[in-house]
Amino acid sequence: MTDDGNTFCGRTRREFLWQTGAGFTSLGLVDALSRDGFFAGGERPDGPLAPKPPHFPPKAKACIFLFMYGGPSQVDTFDYKPKLYGLDGKTIDIDTKGRGGSKNQGRVVGPKWNFRQYGECGRYVSDLFPNVARCVDDMAFLHSMYAESPLHGSAMLMMNSGRILSGAPCLGSWVNYGLGTENQNLPGFVVMLDQSGGPISGAKNWNSGYMPAVYQGTVLRPQGEPILDLAVPEGMTVREQRRLLDALREQNDAHLATRADDSNLAARISSYELAFRMQAHAPEAIDLANESAATKRLYGLDDARTEDFGRKCLMARRLVERGVRFVQIYSGGNHNDHNWDAHGDLVINHEKHAGATDRPIAALLADLKQRGLLDSTIVVWGGEFGRQPTAEYAEGTGRDHDSAGFTMWLAGGGIRPGIAVGATDELGYKAVEKPFHVKHLHATILTQMGLDPNLLSFFHAGLGQRLVGTEGAFPIRELIA
Amino acid sequence: MAPIVRCCVVAAVFAAFGAAQADTWWAYRPVRRDAPPAVLNTKWVQNPIDAFVLARLEARGFSPAAAADRQTLLRRVTYGLIGLPPTAAELAAFTADTEPDAYERVVDRLLTSPQYGVKWAQHWLDLVRYAETDGYERDRKKPFVWRYRDWVVDALNRDMPYGEFLQKQLAGDELPAATVADLVATGFYRLGIWDDEPTDAQQHRYDDLDSIADTTARSTLAISMGCARCHDHKKDPLSHREYHSFLAFFENVRPYDLGARAVPVDGAKERFDAELAAFTATRERAVSGLRERAATIWNALPAVQQRERLERARADLLASYPGERGSATQVLDDVGTRHGAIEGQVVQVAGHRGQALRFDGDDHFVLPTLVRDSFTVSFFVRSDQPGAGRGNDTRWFTGSGLVDGEVSGIVADWGIAWHSDGRVVAGTGDPETFVASGPGHHDGQWHHVAFTRELATGRLALYVDGVMSAEALGSKAPLSSPPRLVVGRMQPGGRGFRGDLDELEFHGRALTAAEVAALALDLPGGVAVGADLANDAALPQLSALRRPDLAMVDVLAVSELGTQPPPSFVHLRGSVHAKGPRVEPGFPSMLGAAAPVHAAATSHSSGRRTALAQWIVDPANVLTWRVLANRLWQHHFGRGLVRSSNDFGRLGDLPTHPELLDWLATEVLARGQSLQAMHRLLVTSSTYRMSCDAAPLPLAADPLNDLFWRFDRRRLTAEEVRDSILAVTGTLQMELGGPSVYPPMPKDVLATASRPDEAWGESTPQQAARRSLYVHVKRSLAEPLLASFDRADTDASCPVRFATVQPTQALTMLNGDFAQGQATLLAARLQREAADLRARLQLGLALVTQRDPRGPDVDRLLALAADLQRDHGRSEAEALQRCCLVLLNCNEFLFLD
Repeated sequence: MTDDGNTFCGRTRREFLWQTGAGFTSLGLVDALSRDGFFAGGERPDGPLAPKPPHFPPKAKACIFLFMYGGPSQVDTFDYKPKLYGLDGKTIDIDTKGRGGSKNQGRVVGPKWNFRQYGECGRYVSDLFPNVARCVDDMAFLHSMYAESPLHGSAMLMMNSGRILSGAPCLGSWVNYGLGTENQNLPGFVVMLDQSGGPISGAKNWNSGYMPAVYQGTVLRPQGEPILDLAVPEGMTVREQRRLLDALREQNDAHLATRADDSNLAARISSYELAFRMQAHAPEAIDLANESAATKRLYGLDDARTEDFGRKCLMARRLVERGVRFVQIYSGGNHNDHNWDAHGDLVINHEKHAGATDRPIAALLADLKQRGLLDSTIVVWGGEFGRQPTAEYAEGTGRDHDSAGFTMWLAGGGIRPGIAVGATDELGYKAVEKPFHVKHLHATILTQMGLDPNLLSFFHAGLGQRLVGTEGAFPIRELIA
Repeated sequence: MAPIVRCCVVAAVFAAFGAAQADTWWAYRPVRRDAPPAVLNTKWVQNPIDAFVLARLEARGFSPAAAADRQTLLRRVTYGLIGLPPTAAELAAFTADTEPDAYERVVDRLLTSPQYGVKWAQHWLDLVRYAETDGYERDRKKPFVWRYRDWVVDALNRDMPYGEFLQKQLAGDELPAATVADLVATGFYRLGIWDDEPTDAQQHRYDDLDSIADTTARSTLAISMGCARCHDHKKDPLSHREYHSFLAFFENVRPYDLGARAVPVDGAKERFDAELAAFTATRERAVSGLRERAATIWNALPAVQQRERLERARADLLASYPGERGSATQVLDDVGTRHGAIEGQVVQVAGHRGQALRFDGDDHFVLPTLVRDSFTVSFFVRSDQPGAGRGNDTRWFTGSGLVDGEVSGIVADWGIAWHSDGRVVAGTGDPETFVASGPGHHDGQWHHVAFTRELATGRLALYVDGVMSAEALGSKAPLSSPPRLVVGRMQPGGRGFRGDLDELEFHGRALTAAEVAALALDLPGGVAVGADLANDAALPQLSALRRPDLAMVDVLAVSELGTQPPPSFVHLRGSVHAKGPRVEPGFPSMLGAAAPVHAAATSHSSGRRTALAQWIVDPANVLTWRVLANRLWQHHFGRGLVRSSNDFGRLGDLPTHPELLDWLATEVLARGQSLQAMHRLLVTSSTYRMSCDAAPLPLAADPLNDLFWRFDRRRLTAEEVRDSILAVTGTLQMELGGPSVYPPMPKDVLATASRPDEAWGESTPQQAARRSLYVHVKRSLAEPLLASFDRADTDASCPVRFATVQPTQALTMLNGDFAQGQATLLAARLQREAADLRARLQLGLALVTQRDPRGPDVDRLLALAADLQRDHGRSEAEALQRCCLVLLNCNEFLFLD
């Protein structure tokens, strides 16, 4: 949305938006309007999640965001810093900011894993990710990410919603708001959490903030009842429920007969049919029974270490195949070493989490590719920040948080494969070459999905709010094929 | 095209209303009181509201919709005023009441119901972003925040004039003789998000202040100020500079971080003062006797013995910090060389004897570990500030540190602290053992404190003013854990003490009660005379004297940093680190000629918030009363006369009925700012009593009902949905007030929290069935039923709820534990209250629709029950439960005509 030129017949946003509404501004606008009765008179689109045209032809139809909660260490995974090894144990002058506050000196913790070159592109990957490493020719590294906070609470919100202040909708909410959902029988924005629990701030990480709750992420569980209240209650059959719904429909139709002009009543009647269909479709979408043994093995379902994350990655592929727009999978939950937050023993922590995710992630990339889905699916890997090259405490290998420079990688969905963009300093602490803010990452994802990050807006609190902030953000051109 | 039609309708109205003052935005012009216009159909006009509405309808050739039937009207007004469905008895009584004032009496009944406050409080809580936790990583509970919610309910039920309602929330603490309730009202300032681990603490403080200023401006004035934090407002005449002038009203507010504090219960202080005077007199008599006897004994001793005794006492003294020996960086030890290192700015002030050390809450000094086995720590302390911690919590490490050797975990540590209600607490670790004094020592007087600990027995004793307050048996191991002692705060990072400390001494043994008394009362000879007084009659007399308790209550309230606010500056681009020109507090000039700000400091604050509140509630304020009138209209009619009820500026909507809005604004003042009087006016109008029925002509010409040619149907709010279900099953608890409750939370929802085991609480089934206003509002964990029906997001002021229709709602209402359980309860009720299946289904229908059941509806449910029994093998009871589930899902139940 732009802010000027609203001289049409009165001066409210609504009229202005309608005036210019021939194109993009109709996007999602219907929702802002319907809440105060704009469509009460009869014309109403098919609900807030109805598919909406993108701003321009998209490269990616879906996004799978692999969220490494807690903050993986860049210099131990994908950001090769040969100089660090020799400095192991040495105290050097370096300005850092993390959980432990601001410091001007630190004891270097040399990388604990060796790096090797892989693929035709020759990108370096550490021994933590031997399987992912084989996919480097499909991946694009962003070595110069930075974020505004080195503290989990605000940093999580920033990576998910673009702001360190609580209350804004998450990336997945924006995608659903902008594009609607292709498959009305499934939620458009799905979140899969770690077995150990959610990330800190819980639902704020998939919440729709000032947008209606319909745009929030739906938590999907890999086993049992996949979505809250999806299963027909114990002791009731689907056939019986159908009979109940028929009776309900008759009752509601009788009520509607004298209120035919009210589309909200009709919408609520059809919401029950939609819910009924979801009950059938959602379990099918995550049922792995029809997946071949080879596929399951590929994702690591045969190994207790990788089974859980592998199942979620496989489910993500199935969801994307069925038209789900945005899937977020958390590696790590709860607190401390249940996630990538390696303050204590770096080796134990990162072996655990990389070990649980390396095979599944490689499998996801390979599987998407072999099915021709990688071209239309953008895969994103990263945490809310990275980790410092120096130790947090006087002893041990634990690293403090680092939001000044860290690595994320993307693959598929029109991202240029086999490249690396930006760089941190020679110790890997700070982004020095082409630094990119989180909003640039968000802008890139939206752009690949056909949404202009600077046009996609939602009117709230006197402003056309945007995921990328009032100043806007350009996508990272270097990443786009 | 509907939008074009609408736009022209509104614009035409506007052209007529404001042509004369075209250069001033409508909302900033003085409020006008136009005479209600003349109309043709005078019979329809119940009060002036109807004249304003009808005149516009007649001009377009529309007729108002017919009056709603009595059942519909009763249902509408009952939900509208108390948020609940009418009961069968209420319906029967109203239907049978043929008196002309039957409806007016229903309105009076509803307005006097305490449930009225419960319903309308929620509308206000949405505006002030009420939640009970801080958000972010720890999502900490806001202590006693529920008292604020109860204050709002109570204020509404008492029909507090609106100006007073605002004034107390904005500046209740600055009222002369502020009551506890006035302080609780200022909990308004403590409702927002708060990151207890911000990446930039200074910026975050201003994020909080910004949120307070923004919430104040939106909720009371419908000004959208946010944009002007970073630059001049693009549409409204509000400059970047003016924004910061407005912010300056709040800049002296103490940051939220301090949590709740204890304040005297109303009237308790006067009672306490009298009791304290009597206590002090009796005590003084006993002490002066004791002092005389001590002097006699001491003076009778030969000089050699005096010297010997003093030397012995001195030998036990490990370190002494008399206060007058301090420097800017060091507190000197009078006995040896264990000097204290000052961190921060500990200063010297006149003390109990000579000089004392003053701590401001942010400073302290550090000592080496002096004691670990048997010891006594003795000092004099003076403060008029409560410490950290909570009244009923006697763990020393939750208070503000006096002398602290805490080490996190169950370890052999110890400490002495100053607590929230002026209590002194001390203790040792492993096992954790605590001793606490009574409350009320934050009276600005000097008090002596001694903490003794004996290794062999593990005995701890805490003495205040020479009298033992408490004793306990704790660890018998050496207290070896604290690597150092911190004086004036908890080990760094912990809570700081605000007050004075003098004559701090460490003795290498546990002094006796008499020795402590000798120290505390400054008896001649001090510790050295103690042994001779062990059997003095005054000691038990003093022990028996009970210091009176000042009854305290914990409140979450605002306080300021002092009477002199810091200078305020423009923050360029909204960054606290980019200081622009200095600004003074000021009102936005767009609301008329900028009024001067007269802030008179109170004894404890700047008085700025009072100045702001007085300006806001001034009858001449052009926005306050319009904004209120609009909100009242909004919640009765489904939308405001100005739809954007938090934004009357150029980015908001124009009023559809500007003359009516202004008339209502003047009426608020004419009716003594009484909300209840306004409700009565609104709901007794013919406009309110219209049916929702559509008519072809206006439906085509004005599909959005801009002109109010009918009443707008609405979906029930989230709270109404849940409360109505509980009401029809007969389980709803009407109890008011108190801490929030925890309805059962699905396990799968708990699993989304980072600490699933600690994410939610537990309430008894009765408590869990209380009205939704009392359900705990946790920022990081939403109650799924309320969330799916669009409960307000609490991170920002919410003026208008969404009213979405989505399949998640259907799933929750069909399959959720709550819906299933309530269907079972409804079935049980029907079985109890009616004899056979038909009668039960009739009753069920009547309960959910609040009207007489129609034959086809009953037949439909009977057919369902028969099918379930025949085709699905259900018993009649099971079939009835399923019919009840259908009833709870009916559109007629969830929508209000």
